[in-house]
This record gives sequence, structure tokens and C-alpha cells, in this order.
Amino acid sequence: MKIFAESASSFISSRPDTLSRQLAWVGFESAGLPTTSDEVWRYAPLGELDLDRFTLADEPLIAADSAFAAQLCQRAGLVVRIVDGYYVGAGADLEGVSVLSVDSSESLSGEALVRRYESDTFALMNVALAPATTVIRVGAGVNVERPIVVLNVTNGTSSFARTQIVLERGANATVVEYFEGGANALVVPLSEYEIGENAALGLITYQRLAPSAWHVARTTGFLSRDGRLRQAVIGIGGHYNRSRNDAEMLGLGSENELRTTFLGSGSQVHDFRTHQFHKAGRSRCTLLSKGAVADESRSVYTGLIEIEKGAKRTDARQTNHNLLLSPSAHADSVPNLDIRENDVMCAHASSVGPLDELQRWYLESRGVTRGDAERLMIQGFFNEMLTTLPDELAGLVEADVTSVLATVRVVTP
Amino acid sequence: MSSTLKIEGLRVEVAGKEVLRGFDLEMSSGEVHVIMGPNGSGKSTLAHAIAGHPGYKVLDGSVRIDGVELLELSATERARHGLLLALQQPLEVPGVRPIDLLVAAGADAADLRARMHDEARRVELRPEVLDRFVNVDLSGGERKRAEMVQFGILRPKFAVLDEIDSGLDVDALGAVARRLLAATSEWGCGILAITHFRRLLQELTPTMIHVLSAGRVVVTGGPELAEVLERDGYEPFRVSSI
Repeated sequence: MKIFAESASSFISSRPDTLSRQLAWVGFESAGLPTTSDEVWRYAPLGELDLDRFTLADEPLIAADSAFAAQLCQRAGLVVRIVDGYYVGAGADLEGVSVLSVDSSESLSGEALVRRYESDTFALMNVALAPATTVIRVGAGVNVERPIVVLNVTNGTSSFARTQIVLERGANATVVEYFEGGANALVVPLSEYEIGENAALGLITYQRLAPSAWHVARTTGFLSRDGRLRQAVIGIGGHYNRSRNDAEMLGLGSENELRTTFLGSGSQVHDFRTHQFHKAGRSRCTLLSKGAVADESRSVYTGLIEIEKGAKRTDARQTNHNLLLSPSAHADSVPNLDIRENDVMCAHASSVGPLDELQRWYLESRGVTRGDAERLMIQGFFNEMLTTLPDELAGLVEADVTSVLATVRVVTP
Repeated sequence: MSSTLKIEGLRVEVAGKEVLRGFDLEMSSGEVHVIMGPNGSGKSTLAHAIAGHPGYKVLDGSVRIDGVELLELSATERARHGLLLALQQPLEVPGVRPIDLLVAAGADAADLRARMHDEARRVELRPEVLDRFVNVDLSGGERKRAEMVQFGILRPKFAVLDEIDSGLDVDALGAVARRLLAATSEWGCGILAITHFRRLLQELTPTMIHVLSAGRVVVTGGPELAEVLERDGYEPFRVSSI
């Protein structure tokens, strides 16, 4: 790990808050990369991960927007650009919204980042190596009508973006995070979302990185009383795509809806982890994970719902459906519950299987070809997951997802 | 141009049991044939086997439209040769919209939504129902009528209707029957309606009635056969399945 370590060391010494970064780096080095004997990393192709393929960029490599990114930006109320982890500017001002690049080593939870993420080696890498934290703040009572697009592009060989989105009391906004680029790169974003009292954030993360990228993402929502986080994560790209999406229901009546979707092809691994922690009563979470795996790809979904003693009348639901499009593809789903309060409502359901043969026959018996029937059914499987999209962007993202789905090969067992 | 549907010696097995044991029928464009028979006589098996349902195994026989052997074709190709099956219980296909199904099935996309709405009104179906996914969140009767919209758009040479009367109230059945009869002159559609209720005979004016028992046609006759069935039931035509 010489090349990467030297590159990291020189980067850290060039940044303002060297000490706290060094602390995180020491934490990362002493823990080392995880191994597949660690249960939560069991399916990651860690043997293929050679950190010396990656170096830190002293400055962002700016390139022209892709056609899709350009279209997204046209429809946005505000565009926040992040390249190789660096905040490189916002398109224009939007009333009630501020975007700043902050040299901060603090988590939105109030703890030091290095303390908060001490058990997560990739997150520690981000704490040590993110150029700064991009903070998007929506003021109290502000209703942002058009979506904010965070364009997160990786042009170099590594990207450690750190983002905090803060919605003050009663604010309302929709944010679309779009990830692209990342050919042969390591992309490790760390995001935190603070939802103030009675505030509502709609968040869509659309990950379209290059098929060679390593993507290890972690997001955490902190929800105050009656705060709402409605989050959709759509994972398409990456050789290894890991997405950990947590939420802490800190205030009474807070609510988290999380929809995670993935499409696996080739030898991709999609690894989704969720942890919904109910610390206050009458809080709700609804988790829906739906994904399809084709070719030799594999997916893992592990979700933990934790309910603190005293979080009465909490309602937590977890549903997970996996579509197997090839006999060589695998999907695992592991729901977990840790409940320390009796007065709660919890439910989970899970399924893994191929396309329904009778539904396919029904379409065929109307004159639809097998290929078209399968394409319609796969699109139909994903349709439900795209309902979170704001009207301005729905058609665009749906068309993009559909174009990817059209390339998937279905092999009947 | 007149077409012919010819079924000869059709034998079909379901779950290891031979249910259809040598079925014969011949009909032409514009005709209405009704197949009647008690429960378990093989009526639904006939419908599903013709349309290539994967749960039904054809042991022997032939089903031809204008000389083209359908049994050698995929379900898709059978439909493209002019066959449409309306199911007793139309299947739900979550996530797929009726309009997308019809476009993929080869319907002309021009004014398609408007034509679907026209077809819906003809069978007294609220057109908004067609914005839902195929047969999802529809009542039994709405599903039947939603399939009649497919029928009106796809305009098959021959339509096989399995228990079209179940789930429909008297008014809705009347509207569906009028739509079917209109199709016999609009594009010369041949209608093969399967039922075990006699109610349908009052709505459709059949060219021929075939009584099925134990997997075979035991009697064929004109509309006058309906009166015999009305008076005596199936009992005189029942044959032992052994």
C-alpha cells in the first residue's frame, strides 16, 4: 500500500486540519482494509482491491458534463458540483439555500467524525482524505420548489466526497445526487442529512459510475421531531457497489422511507446495508429494497431495524424483493430486528426468484415477443422504485434506467 | 377474406391427467360458437392449451388457422396469427401498463389511448382503469372488460373466451356480448365462447353449440340445442370418463 499511503500522506499534510486527518488515517491504517472473513464484507471482492491503483488528487480534474448530467442540470433549481471530492461551485444562488465548502471534522451528530466512524475503515478514509465538507443548508421554513442537483463526478483515480445536507425547522427540499465517472477509481462518499423539526427532505441518489469503479458509500439521516426523510437509492454502476444507508429517528413522530434499487450485470456485486435506529416514540420507517441480478452478478441486502426501549408505538416495515435473471446470479437478503420495546409494530417480507412464468405467458398470449415481455416485466419491477422522483426529473431518469434495462440479458433457468 | 379455425383430435394433459380426449371443432370467420359443459369437462383446458399456457401438455392433435399449425408455434406467434384468449381470471402483471402491453403486442400506436378509451366505453368500463397496471387493483368484472379492450384493439381473427360471463353482472354481460357480436361484422371475428352458464346464450346468438363431456364433444347443434339444455340440463349428454 506504498503508493496510495504516500499520496495520502502528502495530501493530508497539505490540508488545513492536518491533525484530525492524521488521527483518522492512523485509525484506518491500524484497522486495515476489511477481509471477507468479516461477515459484513463477506461478498466484497476485496482480494481484487489494490489501493496502489489509486492516488489522491491535489485538485479536481474538470471535464465537460456528460449529456445526461447536462440534461439533469437544465431541470434543476440549483446545481452543486463536486468533482473528485472537491466542491467546485454552485450554478446560481437560490433563495434560502446556502452551499459552502467547510473544513470541518465534525459530524452532524455533534461528535468528531473520527469518533463517529471509528469502526468503519472506508469512512475513516473519507474522514482523512475528503478535501472538505460540502454543506448544503436550507433555511427554516424555506420551501425549495425545484430540485437541487448534486453532480458528483469522479475524473481522477479516487474521490472522497463528504456532504452534509441540513434542513432547518420546517424546511422542505428535494435533492438529487448523481454519481458518474469513476473509471478504475475508488469512490468513497460520506454523507449526512440533518432533518430539523417538521422538515422534509426528498433525496434521490442515482449512481451511474463506470463498471470498473469501486464505490463504497455511507449515508446517515438524523431526524428531529416530525422530520421526514424520503430517500431513494438507485445503484447501477460500479464493479463493487456498496451502499450503507442509515437513519436515526431522534425525535417523536419522525419518519424515514428508504427505497433501494439495484441492477446487477456482468460480475458486479451490489452490497446494500441499512440500519434504522428508532430512538423516539411514534417514529416510522418503511424500507423497500428491490433489485435484479443478471449474468454472474450478486447482491446482498442486510437491514437492521433497532428500536430503543421507550420508543413506543414505533412502526417499522422492511420489504425486500429480488429478481434473478440468470441461473448464475445470486441474491441474498438478511433482515434483522433488534427490539427493546414491546409496544411496537414491526413486519418484514422477502422474496427471491425469476420472472413470473405465467405473467410472461399472459403477455406473450397477447402477441408480445418473449424479449419484449421480459423487458416490460423488468421495467415494471423497477417502476415502483422510481415513484420518488420529482416531476421535473422523473421522465429523464426513467428513460435512462430503461435504456440500461434494455441491455440486460435474461437467461431462463 | 374468410378464415377457418380447425381443431382436430386434440388431446391435452394437465398435472399428469388426460383432460381433453380428442376434441374436434371447425368454425369460420364471423361465426359464434359456444362450448358448454359441466365443471371438469375440459372447457378451460381447451382454452389454455390453444393459447400455449405452460401448464398444459398437448399429447396429440392439431389446431390450425387457415392451415397454419398453431401447436408448433410459440404463444406469441399464435397471437400474431390471429388468436386471442380472454381468460376466466385475467392475470395481474404488476408494473406493466395496458398501453405498453398493446404497443408491444403490435397495436398501432397512433391515437391508441383514444381508441382504448372508446373500447372501454363500449363495454361500460371507466377508461381511468386503463391507467393502472395490467389487471392490478381491478375487480373481477373490470378485468373481463379490460380484456375486451385488448380484444377491440388487437382485433383477432378468432377469440376464445373462457367463462366470459363470470364476474359480470347482467348489464355488463349485455355490453360485452354486444361488443363481441359487433366484432363479427366489423372485422369478421370468429367467437368461440366457453361457458357453463346458459345465461350467455341469451346474449350471444350462437351459430353452433357444442356440448363437452369428459374431454370430448358429445353433441353439436344449432341454437335449438339451447332449449334442450334449458329443459333437461347436461344429464342426457353426460358420458362416463372411464
